[in-house]
Amino acid sequence: MRVDRKWRIIIQSTTLLGFLWLFLQTEYRGTDDLAYPVSLLFRLDPLALLAALFAPGDSDLALLWPAFLLLGLTLVFGRFFCSWLCPLGTLFDFAGGPLRRPSSTFSGWPKAKYYLLASLTLSALCGLQLFGWFDPLSIFLRSLTLSLNPLWNQLANALFDWLYQADLPLISAAADFVYPLFRERLLAFEQPVFLLSLLTAAVLLLLILLERVQARFWCRNLCPLGALLGLCAHHSLLQRSPQTDCADCKLCASQCRMGATADLSAPSAECVRCLDCLDYCPSQRIDFSFARQAVKKFDLSRRTLLAASLGGAVMAPLAAAAPLSASYRNDVIRPPGAVAEEEFLRRCIRCGECMKVCIGAALHPDLLRGGAFSLWSPVLVARLGYCEYDCTLCGQVCPTGAIGMLKVEEKRKFKIGLAVLDKDRCLPFAQAEECLVCEEHCPTGNKALVFERRQVLVGSETRELLQPRVLTELCIGCGICETRCPVSGASAIKIINEGESRNRQGLL
Amino acid sequence: MLDRRQFIRRSLHAACAVGVGGTVPQLLLPPAVNAAQDAVIAVRRGEDIPLLVRETLAALGGMERYVRPGESVVVKPNIGWDRAVELAVNTHPLVVKTVVQLCLEAGAAKVQVFDRTANDPRRCYVTSGILAAVEQIDSKQVEIVYMDRRAYKEFEIPNGKALSRWSFYLPALEADRLINLPIAKQHSVATLTLGMKNLMGVIGGNRGMLHRNIAESVTDINTVIHSDLTVIDATRILVANGPQGGRLEDVEVRNTLIASPQIATADAYGATLFGYQPHQIETIVAGHQRGLGEIDLSRVKHL
Repeated sequence: MRVDRKWRIIIQSTTLLGFLWLFLQTEYRGTDDLAYPVSLLFRLDPLALLAALFAPGDSDLALLWPAFLLLGLTLVFGRFFCSWLCPLGTLFDFAGGPLRRPSSTFSGWPKAKYYLLASLTLSALCGLQLFGWFDPLSIFLRSLTLSLNPLWNQLANALFDWLYQADLPLISAAADFVYPLFRERLLAFEQPVFLLSLLTAAVLLLLILLERVQARFWCRNLCPLGALLGLCAHHSLLQRSPQTDCADCKLCASQCRMGATADLSAPSAECVRCLDCLDYCPSQRIDFSFARQAVKKFDLSRRTLLAASLGGAVMAPLAAAAPLSASYRNDVIRPPGAVAEEEFLRRCIRCGECMKVCIGAALHPDLLRGGAFSLWSPVLVARLGYCEYDCTLCGQVCPTGAIGMLKVEEKRKFKIGLAVLDKDRCLPFAQAEECLVCEEHCPTGNKALVFERRQVLVGSETRELLQPRVLTELCIGCGICETRCPVSGASAIKIINEGESRNRQGLL
Repeated sequence: MLDRRQFIRRSLHAACAVGVGGTVPQLLLPPAVNAAQDAVIAVRRGEDIPLLVRETLAALGGMERYVRPGESVVVKPNIGWDRAVELAVNTHPLVVKTVVQLCLEAGAAKVQVFDRTANDPRRCYVTSGILAAVEQIDSKQVEIVYMDRRAYKEFEIPNGKALSRWSFYLPALEADRLINLPIAKQHSVATLTLGMKNLMGVIGGNRGMLHRNIAESVTDINTVIHSDLTVIDATRILVANGPQGGRLEDVEVRNTLIASPQIATADAYGATLFGYQPHQIETIVAGHQRGLGEIDLSRVKHL
């Protein structure tokens, strides 16, 4: 069996481009329902499957069956996903290539990822799901959504704007000619801005810089998805022989991007079936075949594995030792259709799909609002953007059912929060000036924001003023009032999470 | 003598020359030069909307009076909200389509349709039906576009009462002709939203701030943006929960179209559809006081 490495690179590039194309389709394109399965990446993701299976409530396996397919293929072909399909792996190969140093002597911690996987699995089983923080596919898409795409838009728009302003002969005309194409196909409709864009970029940058220490540092040592696929690949049908370095050569020790033949490794689980060794082996001794052969045993330390699992298991009770965010704050607004908070956090794999698709740029990654373990989960920040009344896109892209799929009629009634006025800053109350922008924008047919005509004493003069009032039973918390409130800085009307549909015991 | 549009073009060229990489200085507009601004109004009723539009415009002397061959035209409907046609919050797509067609028939070289929406522009353009209607015309001279964020510029408002300067959308100012196509709706702050308020769709900035003194602010805006013709869509009107509606119960079918070259005159008639007298609506009165049209309907020639 011989495969030229250029084929792998072509497939890697095509897959990466395919996922980037799906990423660009993850937005409103003139129809209420998305035309493509844009979250395919996560439907393939066995970690997303685990998160969904371990969560309370029913999981829609119709959504997640591709993950079973990937596991099945791994049982046959081994950990091929990591070298042929994984977009983060591809990014490491392309971006990390120039960073790699052949002289690095770091031998790695190939077992660490199995301990991490054990820890995350036990933690998820016991109630605290953190797969999303470490899921390479989540890292990839979240970095793309929160950092790389905004950066690309900034750069492209700055260039187009400059050419537009400068009005250079020919060049500006050419730029204006191609601009509609960019705007239509490659750029976001509005410049995306996200909270945590820097933190998210820093994580990705760190992982890329680790290529300097060791090729595919993340994949070899830390990736829990790699570990899970490695477990399935251990006894896969397609195996490499020989399983260790040949005594007279040892070229694999320096060339194999996964260090699969190293003493510390179980080659059947570490080898990503990239087939590069077929190329570089000077004596063509290497063979990949479906013939049964003995595989080198896994050499995990039972003690460490036990410790990692125990550590994971106590994470959940440890997390519970902190007060619930809902017990002392009210600014955790989840997307419409989100399941109850506990289940939500157990399902959400922090992939960022909902934030990418949000038409109102309302969804942002959380830092601490929902508690220490809510990092990167979506919250609605209504001052930055509102939830569009007739839009149901976030539920359509969520791969794990953390955000349920709502019909438009259900969505219009789904309360994600409640608007409350800050009368110290609201113009008609605080300044005795007319305003009512909030009332104008309120989208519920019977407006949830109404006004009352009041006589107000301003100094010595009596003024008649229209003052806004929120009707609790009609307000769905979409947040357009907070977004559009004309006062500067923080809004004079705010969405709080009281009376959410997903949390019926609210008092109001 | 410079005319208004030449002035804008020259000022911008100058501004660009100084302003590359830096800030563009604020520009002062000379007062608007009004074209065919006679105190006339045409009101027609009918259920066949394209026919209704044609009849109303014919009564005014035809689109040829307002659009001359080779001119560029901006048609400015209300596409403000993510609502379907029957909810009467956006201009009827057939009104938009027919007016655009009439512009082409009058010889317009180019017709642009746009609005700065309140909801997401992509959703508004689709849900209102206006995107599809304009695209049906299938002419290279017609385009319906989203606002270009780069094309807003701040101008002084020389005789502003509430505003001394504001940001305006250049393509609306630069076109040879601007045709204003509002829909008649109730509005909590301004009482009604008609032609004058519809032109808030071609300005930039934090529009919410204008609500503090909406009548004078809207009038200030109207002293800068000059429209050549106002056609108020009252085929169906929104009488409550405006301006964004959402309930069929708040919609009244009136099968009416109002057209006048004077924006305040058109608005004055529009007010009567809701049972108001023109002088009861502050914005209309302010418009009249600043020369935007006769609002005593007995002094207007009904065609």
